[in-house]
Amino acid sequence: MSRAIRTAVLAVLGLVWLLPVYLLLVNAAKSPAAFTTTESWRPTDFSLLANIGEALELSGLAESAGSTLLYAVVSPALAVLVGAAAGFAIVALRLRHGFAWFVAIFGGTVFPLQMILLPLFDAYSRTGLFDTRAGMVIVYTAISIPFSAFVMRNFFSGIAHNVFEAAVIDGASTWRIFARVYLPMASSALVAIFILQATFIWNDFLLGLVLSQSDTVRPIVTSLAGMQSTYGGAQMSTVLAGGLLVSLPTVVLFLFTQKFFARGLALGQY
Amino acid sequence: MTDTTPGPRARRDQYRWPALGFIAPGVLLVAVLLYLPLLWTVLLGFTEYDGLGDPEWIGLENYAEMFDDPEFLGSVLNTLLWVGGTLLVPVGIGLGVALLTWNLKGGTWLRLPFLIPYALSGIGVGVIWSFILSGDGALDQALAAFGVHDTPRWLVDAPLNTVVMILATAWQGVGVNALLFTIGLQSIPKEPLEAARMDGASGPRLFGSILWPMLRPLTAVVVGLSIVASLKTFDIVQGMTKGGPGRDSETLALTMYKETFVNSEYGLGSAIAVFLTVVTLLASVLYLRQQLSSKHGV
Repeated sequence: MSRAIRTAVLAVLGLVWLLPVYLLLVNAAKSPAAFTTTESWRPTDFSLLANIGEALELSGLAESAGSTLLYAVVSPALAVLVGAAAGFAIVALRLRHGFAWFVAIFGGTVFPLQMILLPLFDAYSRTGLFDTRAGMVIVYTAISIPFSAFVMRNFFSGIAHNVFEAAVIDGASTWRIFARVYLPMASSALVAIFILQATFIWNDFLLGLVLSQSDTVRPIVTSLAGMQSTYGGAQMSTVLAGGLLVSLPTVVLFLFTQKFFARGLALGQY
Repeated sequence: MTDTTPGPRARRDQYRWPALGFIAPGVLLVAVLLYLPLLWTVLLGFTEYDGLGDPEWIGLENYAEMFDDPEFLGSVLNTLLWVGGTLLVPVGIGLGVALLTWNLKGGTWLRLPFLIPYALSGIGVGVIWSFILSGDGALDQALAAFGVHDTPRWLVDAPLNTVVMILATAWQGVGVNALLFTIGLQSIPKEPLEAARMDGASGPRLFGSILWPMLRPLTAVVVGLSIVASLKTFDIVQGMTKGGPGRDSETLALTMYKETFVNSEYGLGSAIAVFLTVVTLLASVLYLRQQLSSKHGV
C-alpha cells in the first residue's frame, strides 16, 4: 500500500478513535443548565472547571483523590524495594533454592483477584483493617510485589557478580551493597515498575469495592463508579467531568512514559 | 559459575542469613496476603457458608449446583464471548495499526490517538461509553442524522450489550497492542526483509512469509495477555450494565462477585472463583504448550 493511502487510513481511523474523547470533553464542559441528553455533539458553553469542582463535592471524590494518591505512591514504592530486596537475595547473595523462592513469589500473580477477595474481606473485617488507609496500602503493596520481584531478578541477573565481590573486598556490608550499589544501578527498572504499578493501583476498582466503604478511604475509581450509578440526567455533565478528572493523571503519565509501559508489559505478561 | 574463590557452597552459607533476611519481606507479604486467602477460598468452595456461624462441609455440591444453573452457564458463554471478541478485535486492529504505521513517516503521531484511551480505568471507559450508548445518546443521534432511527437498545439487548462492551474495550486496548507489535516489527532484522523485497514480495506475501513468522513470539505474548485479561473481565461490565439486564451480560468474575458479596453465598462464590482460576490456568498452560510445540513443528 502506498504511503499516502496508509496515512489516510490511519488518520481516518485515528479520528474515529478520538470521537469518544471529543464527546467526553464537550459534554463534561456543559453547565447543568445547558446540558441536554439529546444534543451531545454540539458544544454549548465551557463550565468544565465548575463541573470538576462539583464532581469533587459529589460522592466524596476529593477525599478519595488524596487517599488514592497516597496508595499509588506509597504502595509501588514499597513493592519496588521489597521486590528489589528479593531479587538481590536471589541473584547477588545467591540464596540457596533461589529459583524456588522466586517461583513462590511470582506465583502470586497467576490467579485472578477473585481467588483472594472474600478471605481478605473476612480477615480485614476481623482485624480492623477493613476500610482503613493502612489496609489498602498493605494489599496494594502485596499485589505489586510479584511483578516487581520478577523484573528486579531479571535486571540484577544482568549485573556481573564481580561487582558484588569487589564491594565485599572494599568491606561493605550486604545492606550497604544493596542500598548503595545495586539499587542505584537499577534506577531505570525501579522507575519502570513504579510507573506501571502506580497506574494499576490508581485504576483499581475491585479491591476498593470490596475492602473499603467510607469516602476518605475509598479509592477514586471506586468512588467514580458509585457516582456514576447514583447521579444521571441533568447531572450527567458532572459525572463526565468526574470521569475526566479521574482519568487524566494516568493518561498523561502513560503518554509521557509509553516505552516503559510497553517494555514492562512485554516483560511482565500482565 | 565463574568464580573460583572459596567455593560456591561455603560462599552461599556465608550469606545465608542476610539472604533470607532480604527475601523475607516479599515472601511473608505474598504468603499472608495472597496465598493464605487463596487456600482459604479453595476450602470455602467445598462448604456452605453465609458469613455467620461456621462453614459447613458439603463436598462438591457447590460445583454440582453451578453446572445445573442456566445463569451460570450463560455467564460462562459470555466470558467465552469476551475471550474470542477481545482476541479478534483489539489484537487484530492493533496488529493492523502497527503494520500501517510501520516505517511510515509520522507513524508515532498517527499511533497517538489509539494510545490515549489505554491508561483509562475500566470504570472510566464505562462512564464515557455508557453516555455515548444511552437511549437517544450520542450514537443514536449520529445514526439519526444518517436517517437510521430504529436503533437497538445497545446496553439492554443481549447479547448485543456484551458485543458493544467488547468494542468499548477494543477502543481502549488497540493502542497498547499496536505499540507492542510495533516494537516487535522494529526488532525484525533488516536483511531477510531486504532479500524478500528484492525477490518481489510485498503486501500480503511479505506479511505471510516473513513478518508473521518473525512476529510469532511477540504474538504469543499479546494473545496470552489478552486471553488471561479477558477471562477476568469485571470492571467495564460492572460499570456499564452491572451484568444486566437481569443477569444477561454477567461474566464469571461478576457472577463470583454477586454470589459472594450480594447474595452472601460464600461457598458458592468461592467455588466459582476456583472454577475461574482453573480455567485461567488451563488456558495459559494449553496455550503455552501449543505455542511451544508448534515452534518445533515449523
